[in-house]
Amino acid sequence: MFRELIGGLRITMQAMLRKPLTIQYPEEQRPVPPRARGRHILHRYDNGLEKCIGCELCSGACPVGCIYVLPAANDPAHPVSPGERFAERYEINLMRCIYCGYCAEACPTEAITLGPRLDLADYKRERLVATKADLLEAWPGFRPPGGAAGGGPR
Amino acid sequence: MSAAPSPPPELVTLTVDGRAVSVPAGTLVWDACEKAGVFVPVYCAHKKMDPVAVCRMCLIEVGTMPKLQPACATVVQAGMEVRTATDRVQRFRQGNMEFLLLNHPLDCPVCDRGGECDLQDFAQRYGPPRSRTAITGKVHFDKARPLSDRIMLDQERCILCWRCVRYCDEITGDRAIVLQERAVHTVVDTFEGRPLTGPFQGNLPEVCPVGALTHTAYRFRSRPWDLQRTPSVCPGCSYGCTVGIDSRDNAVVRFVSQDNPDVDDSWLCDRGRYGFPELNRQDRVLTAELSLEGPVRAVGALEAVGAAARALAGVLERHDPDQVACLGTPQMTNEEAFCLQWLGRDVIGTPHLDHQLEPWPDLAPDEFRLAIRELEDCDTVVVLGERPEAATPVLTLRLYKAERKRGRQVLRIAADADPTELAGRVRDRGRVGVVAHEADRDRARAVATALAAANGSVHRLTLTEGMNGRGCKDLGLLPGLGPGYRRLDRAGMHGRAILAAAAEGRLRALVVVGPNPEMEQDPAYEAAIARVPLVVALTPVRGLLSRHAQALLPGRTMAEKQGTVTSSEGRVQRIRVALQPRIGAPPPELRLLVELGRSLGGTWESAPLATPAFDVICDAVPAYRGTRGGLRAAWPGTGGAA
Ligand code: SF4
Ligand code: SF4
Ligand code: SF4
Ligand code: SF4
Ligand code: FES
Repeated sequence: MFRELIGGLRITMQAMLRKPLTIQYPEEQRPVPPRARGRHILHRYDNGLEKCIGCELCSGACPVGCIYVLPAANDPAHPVSPGERFAERYEINLMRCIYCGYCAEACPTEAITLGPRLDLADYKRERLVATKADLLEAWPGFRPPGGAAGGGPR
Repeated sequence: MSAAPSPPPELVTLTVDGRAVSVPAGTLVWDACEKAGVFVPVYCAHKKMDPVAVCRMCLIEVGTMPKLQPACATVVQAGMEVRTATDRVQRFRQGNMEFLLLNHPLDCPVCDRGGECDLQDFAQRYGPPRSRTAITGKVHFDKARPLSDRIMLDQERCILCWRCVRYCDEITGDRAIVLQERAVHTVVDTFEGRPLTGPFQGNLPEVCPVGALTHTAYRFRSRPWDLQRTPSVCPGCSYGCTVGIDSRDNAVVRFVSQDNPDVDDSWLCDRGRYGFPELNRQDRVLTAELSLEGPVRAVGALEAVGAAARALAGVLERHDPDQVACLGTPQMTNEEAFCLQWLGRDVIGTPHLDHQLEPWPDLAPDEFRLAIRELEDCDTVVVLGERPEAATPVLTLRLYKAERKRGRQVLRIAADADPTELAGRVRDRGRVGVVAHEADRDRARAVATALAAANGSVHRLTLTEGMNGRGCKDLGLLPGLGPGYRRLDRAGMHGRAILAAAAEGRLRALVVVGPNPEMEQDPAYEAAIARVPLVVALTPVRGLLSRHAQALLPGRTMAEKQGTVTSSEGRVQRIRVALQPRIGAPPPELRLLVELGRSLGGTWESAPLATPAFDVICDAVPAYRGTRGGLRAAWPGTGGAA
């Protein structure tokens, strides 16, 4: 019986000497695995044009129907995306999303991917409907309209 | 006119993939396959056009014939053995898809047709799993080229099925679209590059099986899976074309045609098809507004109905009911029109009701006896002036079909032509149809009488203004004629006389349902409305009525309510709710009218809803019984229903 007690205490001692695993969330965050599926990102080409062409295929593929895309015709003088069509409005209801990644799978231009960001709590439901301003990749000269939740992707 | 009994067609029995099927002689193999429940992919074949067999998509094996045969252009024969599922057919379809996609831009993601495109569907079903062509090296043509302000052409997406060319040749006859150049450089374009001007351009994107022809009004608006389709009736005129109202986010984004062979034959005119923005208007009357005493104040609709009823009762206490009038509009449903005439005649007790300006004495259902479809069976169709085709444009296509496909004589005469010399111009003796606009009904009667003397069987079709002008007449929203054209002892004032009386200050109160496009064009209308001390108006949109009404009640557009409307030929069809009213929206117009009548002491037996109201109509107008499912009302003595 005495031997079992010593054996147990040895494990306790070992654990006390180990570096703690706890990190100070949210100040500190653990890196997520490269293929983790967190909040979406809408990407841009190197010249700043949006990759999204407003085709609505992501919203068609989405099993829960949480993507809303309203397309519009590009102004050739000031195009938003290459080609004739772009997404005038793009919204994802993050409360409904199941992070399956089908939208990224469906996208013909690789405009949408699921990013590493997983901390999606908020105090207001409305703020959990991510808009284009929330989802678009940052770009010099691009300012998200005031009051946008999260202020752009990380 | 009763349809001539045609001898039963001779039946031919053939087998399709082993299934025996009997079809009338002369049927195309494509249709026989459909009857056997076997799907054959087609691009160039179209139900309303003659076969050309250019796309080669429908090739199938027939009996022992060495080569594959086009199902869309091969006529059935007794004992024919059709095979559509053999390896040879599959291989051929795969090869054909490869050819069709050789120079196709594959830009489905930005193509308006994506999601409802035959090229996408068949490529997926019958095409090769992967392409053998490089993306580079395709032949390029013009993209996003406007053919007019309504139609866009993308020449790269065209698969050269000729449907658009044949549409302009066989259906409209304007030959506006042609094929140019040869071989791989062949493109579709307008004749000499002139912009399209016809009134039936909107059908082009519908006949095009791919995304080459698209609507400018629907450019980049939606995908089919985001749309809600509501079967309804086109509100553009009284022809009664069947439409599908496609809406997204509770706004109408397009009208699509739905084939109704008795009426539209699957075509719509541009005025109707592109008139949908009217249903999305933002300047709406959304709450009731009262200015009976003091400044305008917004109140609940039923509260406003009560206040309006008290004000009307006050007028009726002090004055004769003769000093009150009711004006409707041909845009009302049958249920609303019937309810308004009940309110005016039975509750208020005034003989002055109308829905239009001009008087229509001695009106009878016989003026509408000829059915639209029977126009094709008439040996000669006489059209009086340009007004019928201006009022109901799709009529032109039916007349062209009668002329081109059935070899009938279509005689377009000036509205004021001398009817006596007309008999000589009618090609053969036989059935004659006389088509006229309601404004020319006296002349039409003279023409019909003259032709009947010389020719025998003459029937008339009168085209009314507004979506439901016919229904308003059938249900007695007219002075002197009750529901079902029942002659009344007390003749009242017609629309123009009511306006004149109002302008002279002889009317104490007016109940108006609007908007009435015919009246609003008349300068006398506003002056008259402004003179009446108590105007109770029910209208969905802001305008003249909302400016002058003392009690303004919120109405609904035709996309927000249900009910029935009657087309010129007497076909009673349902309109349905395409746009959902927002939560807390005022009740439908019918309920407001019923409550107004009830508050004034009237008895409306049934529930104030469209379906029970239709039963009330059927009791009052027996001809409306048996019209369910979009049939024509059977008026006694006019040859019955069709
Ligand atoms: S991850 Fe899945 S559920 Fe979420 S938006 Fe994309 S498709 Fe829809
Ligand atoms: S994100 Fe991709 S799939 Fe979605 S609309 Fe944009 S381009 Fe189309
Ligand atoms: S026509 Fe059809 S196949 Fe061609 S781009 Fe448009 S949707 Fe795709
Ligand atoms: S434009 Fe459309 S309808 Fe016309 S030939 Fe080309 S594919 Fe056929
Ligand atoms: S559909 Fe038969 S050849 Fe085109």
